[in-house]
Amino acid sequence: MAVPEVTLTHLNRADGSATYTHNGYSIIGAVNGPIEVSRRDEMPEEATLEVNVRPAVGVGSPKERHLESLLHNTLRSIILTRMMPRTLVQITLQVRSLPEEDEATGVNSTLTILPHLLHTSLLALLSASIPLLTTLTSLLIAVPTSSAPIISPTSTELLRAGPLQAVHVFAFAGDRRLLLNESDGAFSYDEWEEACEMAEEVCCSGGEGGVKLEGEGMDVDAQDGNLEEWLRGVVRRKVDWEQRWKKGT
Amino acid sequence: MPREAEISLNEREFIKQALQEQIRLDNRAFDAFRKLELTFGEEYGVADVQLGKTRVIARISIDVTTPLPERKFDGVFQIFTEFSPMASPAFEVGRPTDAEVILSRILEKAIRRSNALDTESLCIIAGLKCFALRADVHIIDHDGGLIDASCIAVMAALQHFRRPDVLVEGERATILSVREREPIPLSILHQPLCVTFSYFAEGEIFLVDANLAEEQVRNAEVIVTMNRHGEVCQIAKYGGVTVNPLAMLQCTNVALQKVKEMSKFIQQKLDEDAKRRDAGGLMAELSAENAR
Amino acid sequence: MAATSTTLVLPGDEIAPGALPTGTGKRKTLKLGPGLRHIPPNTIVSTVAGALVTNSKKNAASVEYNSGRYLPYPGDLVIATVNGSAAENFNCLLTPNTPPAALPHLAFEGATKKTRPQLPPASLVYCRVVSAGKDSAPELTCMDPATGKGEGLGLLKGGMVFKISLGMARRLLTPKGDLVLLESLGGKVGFEVTVGRNGLVHVDGGAVKTTLAIGQAIQTVDDRALDDVAQKKLAADVMKKVA
Repeated sequence: MAVPEVTLTHLNRADGSATYTHNGYSIIGAVNGPIEVSRRDEMPEEATLEVNVRPAVGVGSPKERHLESLLHNTLRSIILTRMMPRTLVQITLQVRSLPEEDEATGVNSTLTILPHLLHTSLLALLSASIPLLTTLTSLLIAVPTSSAPIISPTSTELLRAGPLQAVHVFAFAGDRRLLLNESDGAFSYDEWEEACEMAEEVCCSGGEGGVKLEGEGMDVDAQDGNLEEWLRGVVRRKVDWEQRWKKGT
Repeated sequence: MPREAEISLNEREFIKQALQEQIRLDNRAFDAFRKLELTFGEEYGVADVQLGKTRVIARISIDVTTPLPERKFDGVFQIFTEFSPMASPAFEVGRPTDAEVILSRILEKAIRRSNALDTESLCIIAGLKCFALRADVHIIDHDGGLIDASCIAVMAALQHFRRPDVLVEGERATILSVREREPIPLSILHQPLCVTFSYFAEGEIFLVDANLAEEQVRNAEVIVTMNRHGEVCQIAKYGGVTVNPLAMLQCTNVALQKVKEMSKFIQQKLDEDAKRRDAGGLMAELSAENAR
Repeated sequence: MAATSTTLVLPGDEIAPGALPTGTGKRKTLKLGPGLRHIPPNTIVSTVAGALVTNSKKNAASVEYNSGRYLPYPGDLVIATVNGSAAENFNCLLTPNTPPAALPHLAFEGATKKTRPQLPPASLVYCRVVSAGKDSAPELTCMDPATGKGEGLGLLKGGMVFKISLGMARRLLTPKGDLVLLESLGGKVGFEVTVGRNGLVHVDGGAVKTTLAIGQAIQTVDDRALDDVAQKKLAADVMKKVA
């Protein structure tokens, strides 16, 4: 599995931003916040979260609204909204490009793009230093009728895999708890559980979350494609970049 | 209601004072553009323009539709600009600001009504089928000069775009996929580009390509759209301060020079991209062979 | 000073007790700075991505990060923009599009009910954050509450403000954080630099050229993370421009 490419904090106006490229999907994410909220949306004890998903072509359709509500509900549970009452956290996700074969695969395109949108918003939130309860990692698993499940398939792989029995999207919090699951197709509970375990394996790192002291062999680049390791690598690069002036002086 | 934060008095006075001393905050000459960058995506018809810290992405897409009954021989071409909070928290979804309205109007006048694109070439079967072309303009980062940057992005994307070929047999039209037949470029009649002039000191000083801070301090703006042959497509002036007609002529002269430079730059980038694609095409073919 | 150590943290990471300073002597209670939160009874969890910074002398820990919007903390020195005046306060903005912070009319040196300071809208004031809780608007002041003196706080006249990163602002405001650049320039030209923790620096060098050159030099040091040698070189270049 290829590791997603990330550029952090590259926009000048937004408080936090990230461009995320993976498997032919390219998404630009921006976060503003905490900022002033309109009276209408103000909540007395927590921050209001606004998610905007903007498709590459055209204006938002019900599909984008659906994605927005999925993202809203998932992100709401990892943002510490109670630490910023009566403010607004605004997340804008602009889809820049989709794989060419995206339409042709016949898979529900809400599901194929969902993990990428989740990752982009998390990275933009990290870049904006919005207080979070935990991180998240997300994954698509496709189960073809006649072969083994494919983890995080590219659209070419989906095309080649032939008819699909089911497609699952899982998102896990940093503490390995399941945050989100969207599935499409026909499957038994056992099959679902198998897919879920498979996703957990890739999404979460081996050790329970916790701080390792530096110098004890933190792998910067995740070669094995573990998503949590990848995330730590991205943050490591961000922190190194921010602290680079210390080396000179 | 979210609004763009007002620039502080100190900044306002400093910018004005500096201009009196012939200094711009980024040390540019009065008639200089910021650093322009243009990149194309993997797909046809996506142009990513960076003008200093301003960034705009234009994307062309195509569909088949029925032509308008009063324009049976024309295809449909539309430009969509919608600001998102990505560029500034002051932009709200579904509630266009003045800047957004002005931008879409100028692009409409500059590109669509000046017939930059030959819409007749988009007709497939008169009165029955035609192509509908749409240009989506996404503002990613906002540091002034949105009109100029958007116009460059849309024009570059139009020139970069390739539409699928069609096979017409009597009343039947077949759209040939990219694999069946090489897609063809759009028929572009001329390339209009916008140059925005910002006036200061009651029309005494004019700047090309003002950044956001300069835009907030200016007295007025004049947007000149022309092509590299020196044909003026439109001139728009917003803001109250009167401008000397002679200064206006001076503007068009400067604009022509800038438009020529930019057209050349766009062409150069298009050529580079074409070259890269050619090499890539060969490579793709080879790798496809290997896979089998 | 080897009193500090850095560790990478992500939101949700539990900070191992071993990574935290142990209180000695008078300062027994651990102080948590930005980016850390305490879950009773004794778990410390990070809320942002950054480097864990601990200081065993002060018995304090926080997460250092350099991106995102400025959030006010009591004691911070900031450059605020006056947005308007209400009955008792000036409404000030610390960052664009945030709820306004209150700067009382009486929080200036020598201000009384009869002689209130006049601050035109959109002017800049250098002030200190008095309180900044999540349940109330931040409050600012332009004097030291103990002495009633201005201590250099107040209206910033003339000059120009430049945006810098939050990390740079923090660095400039630490007691020994003077830039080599500013030290070498200070010997040759006269100028005033005021640093706001909210990512703004106000420079007044008298002439437009001087102010601009110094402001841009600070931004360059920030953007390119220049070391001492490069800063000295930059200072020499600036001197050439100004002279």
